[in-house]
Amino acid sequence: MSVKYTPVQWNRVKYCYDALLVAGTILFLAVFLPLPPEALGHTRPVDPQITNARAFGACAFVMLSIILMIGPLARLDDRVLPLLYNRRHFGVLTCLVALTHAYFVLNWYFAFSPTDKWAASLSANTSYGQALGFPFETLGIFALLCLLVLAATSHDFWLKFLGAPLWKGLHMLIYPAYAAVVGHIALGALQSQEVTTFAWITAFLSLGVAGLHLAAALQARMSPDPQAHAVPDPAWREVCDVTDLREGFAQIAQLPDGKRVAVFLHEGQISAISNACAHQNGPLGEGRIVNCLVTCPWHGFQYDVRNGQSPAPFTEKIPTYRVRLKGSRVQVDPVANPPGTPVPPVPLSKAARV
Amino acid sequence: MTGAEIIVEAARIWLWIGAGVAVLFLGFGMAMVDEDADGAFAFRPLLVPGILLIWPLVLWRWGRLAMGSDDWAWRYGPPRAIHMAMAVGLSLAILAFLLGGALVKQSWPADSAPQQLSAPEVSE
Repeated sequence: MSVKYTPVQWNRVKYCYDALLVAGTILFLAVFLPLPPEALGHTRPVDPQITNARAFGACAFVMLSIILMIGPLARLDDRVLPLLYNRRHFGVLTCLVALTHAYFVLNWYFAFSPTDKWAASLSANTSYGQALGFPFETLGIFALLCLLVLAATSHDFWLKFLGAPLWKGLHMLIYPAYAAVVGHIALGALQSQEVTTFAWITAFLSLGVAGLHLAAALQARMSPDPQAHAVPDPAWREVCDVTDLREGFAQIAQLPDGKRVAVFLHEGQISAISNACAHQNGPLGEGRIVNCLVTCPWHGFQYDVRNGQSPAPFTEKIPTYRVRLKGSRVQVDPVANPPGTPVPPVPLSKAARV
Repeated sequence: MTGAEIIVEAARIWLWIGAGVAVLFLGFGMAMVDEDADGAFAFRPLLVPGILLIWPLVLWRWGRLAMGSDDWAWRYGPPRAIHMAMAVGLSLAILAFLLGGALVKQSWPADSAPQQLSAPEVSE
């Protein structure tokens, strides 16, 4: 989190996260680089530059696979949520490792090219019409370009400037990028490997990523957030019964415009806010209230449920909704108030009066 | 000029335009559209690579925010529905690459005999 783009709330856990990232990367390279040629499927010693390229390439692939597993795993199991906190740092480090891989490749295989090295990498093989000998380099360049865009737009400024939906749409480039990386490996390095270990590792990781994303998407489809029901008064929608509410937690419902509302019970009073966090549109309704503030389960951004405002000095705001009780039924006005609009909470004790 | 050289030259031009946009945006435009950026300078160099790469998007958002035509409600609608399509597409692409790569892979036994593919040219 930041105030005027100055980082605040950096704690020991976050420093440890980044330290582990760097240590893990160094450890991977330290193990990979001294591997004997036969372990890499080579029948004779290879030049150090090639080993370097393969070590950094393999490292980038493993890192990218882990990054892509964190998201669906966090959807399937709350215990993985802490790994989301600094995932963008993980992504930037992965991009740097992938760039190093490209540096070694360009400065070895295209070192004496009479044309620009990048142009040479694009023109050395143009057999796009065949699977055997497909120019896998182009797949790698595409993936690297995607990673550069994602890393370069990872700062919180971009989230605010582009808006979370557009930012997230842009960052979905990670999917075609990962597919391109798998193609880059399967049609490239694995074609010259006599040792099947790396083929199995590639298949295990990439199918693991695919399986986890399918599982998370299926779970979301099979247990969707309930729709807010229509009531005789068209200005209101019914979300749940008061007995469904639990102190400090929310009930989430989809509104007719497709957006989600999170109805919280806090200190015996009901408030309704947007389910989408202002930061990355994380699911606020899946968070809980800590010190009077609902805390986003993704990155810890906090809001007062009564006005949708982050506590000072933070400036983030989310839309609020009017809420009322009809008997024991909780109803919300589906028209959101502008972000940060205070709405008086409804005491549970009023349930019988409406 | 080959096709590859044209692509690389186009990329170079793209980045130079991005550099111009970065100077204008970071120097003048940013504080106009983001009050939090007003007076905050230390982080601005971090944004240069992003502007170089996605400057058309920067210009578009800059224009919308400067004209006040940005819809606040739009900011709170995450694109959740697309995840299933992305997951299916990713899975199919991975399968295609893994199977395709395995199918076209050539492996030769160590003792395979040489095979003459065409008759040698006879010089007269």
